[in-house]
Amino acid sequence: MSVEFRDVVKRYGTATAVAGVSFTVEAGTLVTLLGPSGCGKTTTLRMIAGLELPSEGRILIAGRDVTNLSATQRDVSMVFQSYALFPHMSVLENVCYGLRRSGQNKAEAADRAREGLKQVGLAGFEERQPSELSGGQQQRVAVARALVLKPSVLLFDEPLSNLDARLRRQMREEIRELQQRLGLTVVYVTHDQQEAMAVSDRIIVMNAGRIEQQGGPRDLYERPATPFLARFMGESNPARGSVRRLAPGKVNVRLGEAEIEIADTGAADGEAMVAVRPEAITVEPAPGPTGALSGKIAKASYLGTHMEYSIDTAAGTLFATCPRVERPLSAGTAVAITLAPRGVIIVGQ
Amino acid sequence: MPRASLAWSVAGLLAAVVLPWYALQEGLDSGVWLSGLWSSEDYASGLGQLLAHGRWWLAPVLLALAASSTVSLLPLERERQGPLLLLASGIGLVLFVAQALGIGLRGWTVDWLNILFGELDARQVGIGAGGALVFIALLSLLSIGLALRGGFGGDAFVAGAVTTVGASIVLFTAWPILRILLQAFQDGDGAFMPALLIDRLAVEKIWSLRCLVGGGRCGVAWNTLFLALACGAGTTALGLAFALIATRTSFAYKKTLRVLTVLPIITPPFVIGLALILVFGRSGLVNQFLEWSMGVPPTRWIYGFQGVFLAQLFAFTPVAFLVLIGVVDGVSPTLEEASQTLRADRWATFSTVSLPLMRPGLANAFLVGFIESIADFGNPIVLGGDYGVLSTEIYFAVVGAQLDYGRAAALALLLLVFALGAFFLQRHVVGTRSYATISGKGDSGLPTPLPDRARRTAQWIALPWAGITLLLYGFAFVGGLVKVWGRDYTPTLDHYAKAFAIERSADGLIWSGAAWNSFWTTVKLAAIAAPLTAALGLLAAWLLVRQRFAGRATLEFATMLSFAVPGTVIGVAYVFAFNVPPIEITGTAMIIVLCFIFRNMPVGVRAGMAAMSQIDRSLDEASLTLRGGAPQTLVYVVLPLLRPAIVGALVYGFVRAVTTVSAVVFLVTAEYELATTYIILRVINGDYGLAIAYSCALIVLMLAVILLIQLAVGERRLGRRAPQIQGGRA
Repeated sequence: MSVEFRDVVKRYGTATAVAGVSFTVEAGTLVTLLGPSGCGKTTTLRMIAGLELPSEGRILIAGRDVTNLSATQRDVSMVFQSYALFPHMSVLENVCYGLRRSGQNKAEAADRAREGLKQVGLAGFEERQPSELSGGQQQRVAVARALVLKPSVLLFDEPLSNLDARLRRQMREEIRELQQRLGLTVVYVTHDQQEAMAVSDRIIVMNAGRIEQQGGPRDLYERPATPFLARFMGESNPARGSVRRLAPGKVNVRLGEAEIEIADTGAADGEAMVAVRPEAITVEPAPGPTGALSGKIAKASYLGTHMEYSIDTAAGTLFATCPRVERPLSAGTAVAITLAPRGVIIVGQ
Repeated sequence: MPRASLAWSVAGLLAAVVLPWYALQEGLDSGVWLSGLWSSEDYASGLGQLLAHGRWWLAPVLLALAASSTVSLLPLERERQGPLLLLASGIGLVLFVAQALGIGLRGWTVDWLNILFGELDARQVGIGAGGALVFIALLSLLSIGLALRGGFGGDAFVAGAVTTVGASIVLFTAWPILRILLQAFQDGDGAFMPALLIDRLAVEKIWSLRCLVGGGRCGVAWNTLFLALACGAGTTALGLAFALIATRTSFAYKKTLRVLTVLPIITPPFVIGLALILVFGRSGLVNQFLEWSMGVPPTRWIYGFQGVFLAQLFAFTPVAFLVLIGVVDGVSPTLEEASQTLRADRWATFSTVSLPLMRPGLANAFLVGFIESIADFGNPIVLGGDYGVLSTEIYFAVVGAQLDYGRAAALALLLLVFALGAFFLQRHVVGTRSYATISGKGDSGLPTPLPDRARRTAQWIALPWAGITLLLYGFAFVGGLVKVWGRDYTPTLDHYAKAFAIERSADGLIWSGAAWNSFWTTVKLAAIAAPLTAALGLLAAWLLVRQRFAGRATLEFATMLSFAVPGTVIGVAYVFAFNVPPIEITGTAMIIVLCFIFRNMPVGVRAGMAAMSQIDRSLDEASLTLRGGAPQTLVYVVLPLLRPAIVGALVYGFVRAVTTVSAVVFLVTAEYELATTYIILRVINGDYGLAIAYSCALIVLMLAVILLIQLAVGERRLGRRAPQIQGGRA
């Protein structure tokens, strides 16, 4: 079922956590709320759950106004960052809990709970205590517990932040697979940009209580609308350049002595803020081709899969990644830099 | 929510029709009211009073109730229903309170109402079952209205709990204390005379400083302060010595020290005083020895400042120990290790790092000792002699020949000011400057052993003191087993027999012992009060820790405030507040139970809050999103994890109810006599043997009850041993 926010505001005393947010989550999609800590994403999620009620605005779930309904009265369940498994109940009792509270009898609830545990690959763990499970298993119990209620909307609050890196990737694939198999509507909160891009149909980026930009993962990465977004979605070098419109659909961006032609995104002529992706920077020993930016390598580090360089140029210090590890350049080398057009983005005036 | 609306509407309307509106002389269980629900002016229900007995002022209240019920049951939209329900029930509550306060035993209670509406010849006695239930129903409907409007997270149960806790604290803590304020300004006829307070307080008996300059006695205010300062300093020093020994040395008998901390909790507060009399009193061991060996005539040396001071020192040092053991434990070992790696030896580490870190804790312990001392009633009344303090002075103003309520109120006000002053000092000056070094992270450091100098000092102070304390308790115990202390030391069980004799006769058992009556009353009332105390305390703790709502800070403040109010003040306040309508319960068992509950609830709140803040909040939220409403969450998730706190609150509720003296000394009657007040009277009459025998019986009773509660509530099942309960994470 869909979720809709209309001009929702949440204040705590004088502090505003969410400052007027409107969005729609379509039924059957996975939408991520992404942002740095304190941006209001978790508060937004908790308002969908009904754990917080908004100070202003309306919230609709499946077209029904639920603004003043408590968490219990909404058809929503949630997977918590800490998993929140009840430590005094077994795995089965945990998964049964919601079913029992919604009025099912014991046998019926146990049947469905077993089925739910099977779905997350935990058949046979019913009688364990939560403390006897590994982090990933606890995570799956939490998912099963939320899933068996067949909620209209399933919420995830930074579900992977307590897992190690390898498990994190595996779990996020499982969650995505489960969501698509069952056609669930999911709202997912994370501060990890890669995790968001990997699982989402759509991403809503929040900053300081407002929505900064929303769209598909590719949109946001390739066409960030603000310097904040360019910095937050992947890495980028902030730089100042000047913009000149050429033929329709094309603009010329000048950075130091380099000029790049990129697709027109509607920026006006004149000074502009430009973001340069580190992977769009090609570094060669000087002299390079004409139109290249000249610079000098300040730092170089070897990271196994790629090299990382800090390069002093007329357009400022640029951070670049370079996949060619077999011929590393050392600090102090004079270099020529060329920029790939798709990694140069105008993010503001 | 419709179910709750229906239930409260029906309950309210039924109460207005088939329960007597006013309190009955005979009590509700007598059943005599059944036939007179309409016809009798005493027994009539609210509706009967209104229609058959001309009590017109009930009409708006009952109309508002009917309106609220109707609104709550109509199938309206939330946006409309909430505000309407709020309005109707709110008006009902305001009118209810207005008529209850405005019309009393002699018509209008205030002069300007007489002038405004003319004389009213009708009268109102205290509110009874019908009136009370209508009030509760209106309050519940108001809560539902608040929840419908989106207050309290839209949850009617939470809203109801908040209003219940809030209203009961207002009724049974704030209102009585407010009454003291009023009473202090009123003359004997109830007229308001602000100058009277100054008359009452600005007297030499209270403020004289003659004991400092040229012989004579000091005023009771100074007496109270001197005693409290001495007690605070003494207990802090002793407590620190004990705490250091228990946590920072390899002393072999630490467990025994812990026992010392339990003793004062389960003994009635005057037992130490009694023991001091047995040792130092006129016919005590010391005097007898001096007379026998050197012919020194016995003196009454123990009665006075030194006696009360010693008794309080013995009685409250364990409390300081409990406070300080947490403080000493809280000093992070890592900091001490850091200091040692920075070239500081043990003594330098102790004096420049550990001790300064404990400073806020020491100040806290001092203030706790101070507050305990000014609130103490049992020891001053037993040992004070001529050395009067505020709490005993209040007692004599109410109970003695003076019978001067105004003076009692003024003195109570003064005592309250002292107590609250210390309380605010503790919270704002000390409380905010705590260097609490306990963090969520484990501290892998090892506590540094105490430097030799400090260890020796601590042991020299603490161990003899612990020995004397145990000895005193021992004497108190033996004192109940000899014929007449000081004259005839023949072992005997006479005192126990006199107190607890059971005779067999033709009609079965006769409980002929002198103590049985007060004993069973105490057990019964404490057993009623303990679960209610625990329930209300834990409910309040749950609201304060887990719910966010407007007025949360005020509620927390109010519960903590009542913590600082001395028992004597509460007792006097209850007498003033509840011997006139609208709540007329003086002389009943109910007032004693209420006093127990609201006197001891703050501790339950604190214990509950401490326990609850260790349980990860997301557990509650998980339950809420899993269709468990607030009440189910409380029952299935919070309470099972709170077992230790429940045991604590139940035990404390019971034990404090059994051992309390100061608050109930004004509330007991011949019919409802309590163990402690009975014992105090025996002590005042010099009947020590019986008093001691009875005290020992009480201690045994309390130990038995503690064990019983522990068994009944049981351990919590966690399947692991981590101290912090957090959502399933290992």
